[in-house]
Amino acid sequence: MCTGRVDLSFVLRAFSKGADGVFIIGCRLNECNYITHGNFHALSMVHLCKKLMEHIGLNPARLMIEFMSGGEGILFAEVMDDIGKKVNELGPLGKAEGIDEKALRAKLEAVTQLVPYIRLVERERLRIPFKSEDEFDTFFTSDEFNRLFNELIVDKLAISQIMLLLRERPLSTVKISEILGLTPSEVSRHMNSSSRQGLVRYDESRKCFALA
Amino acid sequence: MEKELEKIEDQVRKSLADNLRKGFADRNFGDVLVVGGGISGIQAALDLGAAGFKVYLVEKAPSIGGHMAQLDKTFPTNDCSM
Amino acid sequence: MGRHPNIEVLTYTEVDSVEGEAGDFKVTLIKKPRYIIESKCTGCTTCVEYCPVKYPDQYNQEISDNKAVHVYFAQAIPLITYIDESCLYLKEKKCRICEAVCKNNAIDFNQKLEKVEVNVGAIILSSGLEPFDPKVKEEYRYGQFVNVVTSMDYERLLCATGPYQGEILRASDMKHPHKVAWLQCVGSRRVTPGENSYCSAVCCTYTQKQVILTKEHDAEAECTVFHNDIRSYGKDFERFYERAENLPGVRFFRSYVSIVKENPETQSVTIRYSTPDEGVKEEEFDMVVLSVGLNPPADVQGLANKFGIELNAHGFCKAIPSNPMETTRPGIFVSGAFQGPTDIPESVFTASAAGSQCGELLDYRRGELSKERIYPPERDVSQEEPRIGVFVCHCGANIGRIVGVPSTVEYALTLPNVVYAQEQLFSCATNSAQQISDLTKEKGLNRVVIAACSPRTLEPLFRDTLREAGINQYYLDMANIREHCSWVHAKEKEEATQKAKDIIRMSVARVCRLKPLQEFDLPVNKTALVVGGGIAGMTCALSIAKQGHEVYLVEKDADLGGTARRIHSTLDGMDVQAYLRDLVRKIYQHPLIHVYTDATIPEATGYVGNFVTKVKSDRGVTEIKHGAAVIAIGADEYKPTEYLYGKDDRVMTNLELEEQIAQGEERVMNAQSLVMIQCVGCRNEDRNYCARICCSNSVKNALKLKEINPRMDITILFRDMRTYGFSEDYYREASNKDVKFIRYEPQDKPQVEAVEEEGRRILRVTVTDYILGKKLAIDADLLSLAAAVIPSAGNKEMSLLFKVSLGPDDWFKEAHVKLRPVEFGTDGVYLCGIAHYPKHIPEAINQAYGAAGRVLTLLSHDTVTASGSVCEVDEDKCISCGACITVCTYGAIEFYDTPQGRKATVNPVLCKGDGLCNSVCPTAAISLKHFADEELLSQIDAAVGDF
Repeated sequence: MCTGRVDLSFVLRAFSKGADGVFIIGCRLNECNYITHGNFHALSMVHLCKKLMEHIGLNPARLMIEFMSGGEGILFAEVMDDIGKKVNELGPLGKAEGIDEKALRAKLEAVTQLVPYIRLVERERLRIPFKSEDEFDTFFTSDEFNRLFNELIVDKLAISQIMLLLRERPLSTVKISEILGLTPSEVSRHMNSSSRQGLVRYDESRKCFALA
Repeated sequence: MEKELEKIEDQVRKSLADNLRKGFADRNFGDVLVVGGGISGIQAALDLGAAGFKVYLVEKAPSIGGHMAQLDKTFPTNDCSM
Repeated sequence: MGRHPNIEVLTYTEVDSVEGEAGDFKVTLIKKPRYIIESKCTGCTTCVEYCPVKYPDQYNQEISDNKAVHVYFAQAIPLITYIDESCLYLKEKKCRICEAVCKNNAIDFNQKLEKVEVNVGAIILSSGLEPFDPKVKEEYRYGQFVNVVTSMDYERLLCATGPYQGEILRASDMKHPHKVAWLQCVGSRRVTPGENSYCSAVCCTYTQKQVILTKEHDAEAECTVFHNDIRSYGKDFERFYERAENLPGVRFFRSYVSIVKENPETQSVTIRYSTPDEGVKEEEFDMVVLSVGLNPPADVQGLANKFGIELNAHGFCKAIPSNPMETTRPGIFVSGAFQGPTDIPESVFTASAAGSQCGELLDYRRGELSKERIYPPERDVSQEEPRIGVFVCHCGANIGRIVGVPSTVEYALTLPNVVYAQEQLFSCATNSAQQISDLTKEKGLNRVVIAACSPRTLEPLFRDTLREAGINQYYLDMANIREHCSWVHAKEKEEATQKAKDIIRMSVARVCRLKPLQEFDLPVNKTALVVGGGIAGMTCALSIAKQGHEVYLVEKDADLGGTARRIHSTLDGMDVQAYLRDLVRKIYQHPLIHVYTDATIPEATGYVGNFVTKVKSDRGVTEIKHGAAVIAIGADEYKPTEYLYGKDDRVMTNLELEEQIAQGEERVMNAQSLVMIQCVGCRNEDRNYCARICCSNSVKNALKLKEINPRMDITILFRDMRTYGFSEDYYREASNKDVKFIRYEPQDKPQVEAVEEEGRRILRVTVTDYILGKKLAIDADLLSLAAAVIPSAGNKEMSLLFKVSLGPDDWFKEAHVKLRPVEFGTDGVYLCGIAHYPKHIPEAINQAYGAAGRVLTLLSHDTVTASGSVCEVDEDKCISCGACITVCTYGAIEFYDTPQGRKATVNPVLCKGDGLCNSVCPTAAISLKHFADEELLSQIDAAVGDF
């Protein structure tokens, strides 16, 4: 099994279960033990996941990736010590960021539900042929990436969150925007498109949206 | 299950019979003697063993491994040399 | 290795005498007494703790102490103790404490030297090397100044299992050295008595490795390397050199040095060296490392007498260039560093090469003595509840010293489905593995967790243990509480114990969900395909055919021979054309070899054991079914664009010069002055590698010309002379014969212009001489360029056809630089010759036999076994998006048509189990067995618990 097998859903699962940090270690870049260079896939996944974390209000520093060889025991020990310290400094998941537990769970759940979609998008639009860590850094901090992220993922994620909220009980646009920290106009845009797709319906009597 | 057992018993019987027939019951009969249990000797023994030969690997030190076992890591990946 | 059914390992044993002849040798061995009964010793090292004798540990270069009874080193094979001559009882008949403390009664002081006679058909000498001992020269101050160490000492200092557990410390004050100097060529490239005239070939690169590792230990360390030429001639060496050189605080100085004095207070060492700008300087270093060269094995003359073989002038095995594995006694072969100073990959493929020659000799008896392991039938436990056994290993003190093993055992017993748990001193010891197997049967276990070390090394052993117990081998999980725990948290015992428990809990969770998997056997087609009919391809083909296998040899040109057709001699005097004629004749005469010339390969499909390749030649298109493929397609010569090449016919390449010398071309014979320029077309930004052979080739041509016309002025302009190994002698000879060597720097390359002076047309070469410190103008009649060897234009195509990879410079990339140098990551495809990297003819022959040896390890079997841990597709979930197909570099996944439409399907033979397809599949339809989502998620859940 290669680092490239480390799935976005694995990372989300760990955070959903309350892990304060997730650390992935792969072979050195360009020194693949297979012929596939899957560690770059892992690097790409980490960048994307950090962006998602940032978006839902989690500190992206909680997710880390390092590359080293099986012979670098000393480096491994040092890095592990550092990581331990760092995770302690970051504090408990959610609390340190000021998100309450329930909201955090809901957000992570929403992202998890989106994983199949993200995989498709990643493959179609975000797969990049770079072969160095710097190039990855540059791409994932670029305006181009931000634009793609906003265009492809942000709306879907908002809708995914709304659906999860509505699964519990019908809510008004105002209420939804309060819970999710979105502007009411954004929420109504999502509600309009979702009702057009037949995902939600508006309950006139209660002035609320509910799942269709 | 029974069939498998039979198969194995067959194999055991066959190999014993073969050995006796060829007069190789003597354990001191081999194909190749490899002198030196360093990386080269180990590789030679493994290859020959895999290619259907019986090999004796003789090493004067109390363990195989040779000088490479003393190296910390090796070029270029600085992988462990063990 | 220790468990291979066809290999009997005899350690602490020496050869006494060899009688007989090829095919029938009678060898007398002397087994030295270990004073330990091998079958009883568990390697627990209790005896070592109690032994009162301390003496310098050989394995750790005598830097630290060990006991009279001890295990040779932590990962020794066999992992058992021995008692050496420092033992009090052996010396003075007292003590015997070890006997009293050994619970297994494994100590036996009555053991005597034992003579064992074995009959074998062939012998391979892999006697290795001996590091140069700098004590033979007082000027190195080794043994006199405490902070002067050898590179072997330093290697141990760097190592986690070394004298100070991986801390680099000075023996004088147990402090970390901050300023470290390396002195190159210690014992090598010197004609002074007691030292070696040859270049030891490995020191430049191992020093760079030590510099890099030193900087990893201590980022602030100042490292200085004093060197002569830097010989980064091997594959990827040049990049490695750059990596070392570009680290902050690292200096490389080209200077001879002397060790001047030791500071009486700090015991630091002063070194004197010269600089081009500031003249002679002195500088103090905390530690000085002598980069010692390689000697022949100890008592090499005794060894030669015993085996009846001859040695060369340097005391290495005498070999002929056309078959470097052959000794002067038929049936006895040589591999590794006993051929001459060599690096690890050469040691590995010459071993396979010697193996192939044994195979040629003994093919008639192959398989008669070999054995297959037989396992009991597998119990079907799929309907049972999980019954897990947990075995927690102390690994001697490696784990037990840090992790509270007994409490982890107690904890394991509280976990769901765990019905049995116990601790073991060394789970990997033969008797411990037996115990696991016995207990599995006795307690009715159906899953096993071994909490010990990394699965990387010992998983095969424990899988085997499960098979012995009649349980599917994939019902095993290894909890790594050593590398991931005790070795990382050496100072936090309590936390480490907690972490070990966590890791075990994760393993227990995973092992419950594991599925029994079957490995399956595929038939092997016994035919080989060799692509490329140069020296490497032909040599390889011939060796395979001599072992009874049909070989198809495919060559793109009209004639066999490849680049060697343009080469006439080697430095050590081999007549290449005569050799080539003989080889071509043998190829055509061999009934099992089929040659296709003027041939191309339009298509290659299949996989290990079962390839189908189409060959197009004047005989039409032939479809060849074969079990193995060897890529030996050679390389090209760089066509220079610099130094007037192609514009002036007096400028030629090394190969062109060699051809003209061989033809006795008049203008060459009569030239008064000839200049050679090295490193043309490589060691630059475009091709960041050294072409390895050019320095020796220039020296070869220069010597040839000097022989023909001793009065010819020959000047070689070089960056580093890389005449590694025994070629160094010829470099010296050329120098003695007045060939001039002038070094140039890459940023100040020689300039060439065609001028006419006093009616004589000359090529004026201008170069800065760094020794004289001024510009020189040399008037030459001819200019020869050491044009780089470059990857063949066909490499890309070939890599796609056979699904093998290319490295950063477009050379074919072997599976592992050191340990699998003649095979690809793709099973069943092998590599040799200059398609791998530039090399001299004897080296290509070594490698060609090596590839043949590896091919035979495949073709001598009727079947190959494919792993059970491969991907499979759930067709109901597959939406035929093709994401998995795109991401699989191995080409293991394809679409096929089903009544429900196109679905992805995995060829389990090609799948290598990396699992990249799993993380791109949007519907989780494809799943890597043994690493499936539920198996991994269960581990994550067990690790984190719940909110």
